Amino acid sequence: MTTGTATAGDTPQTRSARESAGATGGGHALLPPGCDTLPKLLEDAIARRGDRPAFREKHLGIWQSWTWKSWRDDVHAIAAGLHGLGLARGQTLAIVGDNRPLLYGAICAAQCLGAIPVPVYQDAVADEMAFVLAHGEAAIAIAEDQEQVDKLFAIGTRAPHLARIVYDDSRGLRDYDHARLASLESVMEAGRAALARDPGLVIREIARGTGTDIAVMLYTSGTTGQPKGVMLDYDNVVTTCANAVAFDRLSTDDEILAYLPMAWVGDHIFSYGEALIAGFCVACPESGATVMNDLKEIGPTFFFAPPRIFENLLTQVTIRMEDASAPKRWMFRYFMEHARRVGIDILDGKPVAATDRLLYRLGEALVYGPLKNVLGLSRMRVGYTAGEAIGPDLFAFYRSLGLNLKQLYGMTEASVFICLQPDGKIKVDSVGPAAPDVQIRLAETGEVLVKSPGVFRHYYKNDAATRDAKTADGWLRTGDAGLFDADGHLRIIDRAKDVGRLADGTLFAPKYIENKLKFFSFIKEAVAFGAERDAVAAFVNIDLEATGNWAERNNIAYASYQELAARPEVYDLIAGCIDKVNRDLASDPALAGSQIRRFLVLHKELDADDGELTRTRKVRRGFIGERYAPLVEALYAGAPRGRIATDVTYEDGRKGRIEADLEIRDIAPALVAAARGAAA
Amino acid sequence: MSARDLPRDPVPGETLLRVDGISLAFGGVKALTDVSFDIRKGEIRAIIGPNGAGKSSMLNCINGFYQPQQGRIAYRGVERRQMRPHDAASQGIARTFQNIALFRGMSTLDNIMTGRLLKMHVPFFWQLWRHGPAMREEVEHRRVVESIIEFLEIEHIRKVPVGRLPYGLQKRVELGRALAMEPELLLLDEPMAGMNLEEKEDMCRFILDVVKQYGTTIALIEHDMGVVMDLSDRVVVLDYGRKIADGSPAEVKSDSRVIDAYLGVGH
Repeated sequence: MTTGTATAGDTPQTRSARESAGATGGGHALLPPGCDTLPKLLEDAIARRGDRPAFREKHLGIWQSWTWKSWRDDVHAIAAGLHGLGLARGQTLAIVGDNRPLLYGAICAAQCLGAIPVPVYQDAVADEMAFVLAHGEAAIAIAEDQEQVDKLFAIGTRAPHLARIVYDDSRGLRDYDHARLASLESVMEAGRAALARDPGLVIREIARGTGTDIAVMLYTSGTTGQPKGVMLDYDNVVTTCANAVAFDRLSTDDEILAYLPMAWVGDHIFSYGEALIAGFCVACPESGATVMNDLKEIGPTFFFAPPRIFENLLTQVTIRMEDASAPKRWMFRYFMEHARRVGIDILDGKPVAATDRLLYRLGEALVYGPLKNVLGLSRMRVGYTAGEAIGPDLFAFYRSLGLNLKQLYGMTEASVFICLQPDGKIKVDSVGPAAPDVQIRLAETGEVLVKSPGVFRHYYKNDAATRDAKTADGWLRTGDAGLFDADGHLRIIDRAKDVGRLADGTLFAPKYIENKLKFFSFIKEAVAFGAERDAVAAFVNIDLEATGNWAERNNIAYASYQELAARPEVYDLIAGCIDKVNRDLASDPALAGSQIRRFLVLHKELDADDGELTRTRKVRRGFIGERYAPLVEALYAGAPRGRIATDVTYEDGRKGRIEADLEIRDIAPALVAAARGAAA
Repeated sequence: MSARDLPRDPVPGETLLRVDGISLAFGGVKALTDVSFDIRKGEIRAIIGPNGAGKSSMLNCINGFYQPQQGRIAYRGVERRQMRPHDAASQGIARTFQNIALFRGMSTLDNIMTGRLLKMHVPFFWQLWRHGPAMREEVEHRRVVESIIEFLEIEHIRKVPVGRLPYGLQKRVELGRALAMEPELLLLDEPMAGMNLEEKEDMCRFILDVVKQYGTTIALIEHDMGVVMDLSDRVVVLDYGRKIADGSPAEVKSDSRVIDAYLGVGH
């Protein structure tokens, strides 16, 4: 391994026009002829960018770098070593551990040999891991450290194919029985010796690979039922990665922090596939706990995070600003208000008054710049969020700072990309138009169907599931229901199976409506009813903290949650929120009919202990409908009030009974878009 | 703790430290009376006993903080009557304290760096310049400190002032500072006091790893009997300043005098 201290980084200014060559060519300009697999692309790239940084990892507090050439040499050593251990074409290699340059190297080494790498979720307990290893028939497993080796030993005979375990970090493993165990260093040593005898060993194997070979097998997380092994071939991975690289004009000047699980398709595509094609540098955090520090030190230019990470960052900022001195607080508030007003327009290149621009510049120097620096996002050129809906305020906060944060929609079975938001055409409630080379069709049921170069081959040893996931003519069923808006941007509204219809046939997407309600800080939970009914009605749970705060500021006295929830002022407040949601729904012809017509504020918080929420805090709509049946009936009977008596379980396990008589409010629907257009 | 499943040599090496007939009194209060035992190289030696049994006093005698009125202490075969704490430190005896004794305003890194103080040889004058030999020496010490940080898995708090850390992590930093002295004998005074189960398990693993990786000999005081019985090779039991038992965890556990000392004697 050739190591050197990382230089502070490559500034975006050094970017030249040469890398944008691929931007217009649909990605294929990035793929030299004959390079149909990732190892071939790597070999081909060495001549052009062998000395550029490929991977970084911190050792004893100092960032160490691999160049593409030194990393490639390590990959060859691992490949030759694994070849010596008997890893053959078509066999699977399990990789278990946090993001490490040499574990990415092991993935590449397996691909060099034509074997199939299977990254496994490193935080899975032994039992979960046992299923994947047994089902995937891994012959060799590469484990990061003692923790993972212990788990693999604990699995024992439940993974009958597993003959060898190779570990990266030797700490604590010295006294283990090495009959089945070997260090990665010793494997690489043996590999180097083999390469010295036969320098063409790995190159020959690489040449035998073709685009239709399986590149990787990624197990879906298996929230419903057993995990499924998604087989992606090189045609899937290489084409989608090249398209994505061209789309965001990624180049060797970019840098990414690889901190999401290697077993997750997003990490595999962003931190591995795209890195190999674009040649940008992948930094691996020191440990899970240091990610935020590493983010600051590395300052990635390309950053991916689920909404909760952005939420945590914002919470930290808010807390620290509250502890700051009064002038700083004032400055922060003043400039953030200004950014909210004009920041997004400036980012999207829309016309903004010169004075506002000037003030924004000042804000950049005083607030936005330093803030981005603290967050580690100063150099971020492209950022993506995906995985779940991001709150509009949260999204706007980052974008108003001038950060090019975008949303994407994808899934493992499609090699991630289905929809991507192009620069400058960002809408918070849609996931953007179809990604390059992707065709999208909406089924009768509203389900999103996809055809793209990234659509997976099949599930490993699970033909029934493959048949369910793909239509006869090759369309991938995403299981999500969506709509196209006027600009052709896809809007995901719900899981397809949850989407229903009102009695008159209008589309009704309960989760979409509930999410919109929950984006208001006053509303903690919401439950929308309407399937097979005349209209949509909703239960609302207030957020005690936010609503309580609001009540205090408005001199509204209350003694308990129940009392606060029943206050007419609170009803007015919630009615205002619902009115905004209705207006939002009205702007969309397909959803205008599913506006909320009646609502009530529940007298108790929905609670997982009472079975009303799942442990991951998802509303169990059906159960709630039964439990509060009298209230649902009252909503639809047009009654002004509803009575309910419910059994509750208190935190200490005692049972009790709460009775309540709740007000029910009517809401006038907002005008439908078409009608509004006519009125104007 | 899979490391414990592996067989370890029950009687490790030669004697590292021998305590012979130690008696210590503060005025009329007898803290220790005629206590003798030995610590062998590479073992984990536990000192247990009820409150006020004289455990911490025993550690203080070993590292020279107290001078016993009677008895001898032989370390590495060299017998001594007078030893100051810094002599003990320079000869390879390090310790941690029952009440955490860190510099609260300093970062984790700087706290552990203080453990290297005795190994810094460049004169103060040079250090002011942070140049040439002083810089080379600092880099070398930093390397050692960083390897300890990695060993104890505290990378994420490298630059955090220890005063802001939770208790369990402070204990870990303190262990780090003791390790920075590269001790031959490490005295741990209640390393797991006030920790929750998970923190205790972590600490146990670190203590076992210290023995394995650095070959350090450990003498520890601990109240959690589960931990003591799991962790230590041999246990010495004190009660009212006297040794009442000495042997393997199993032997000590079944000793009637030990049971009496802990549970009281029915009369």
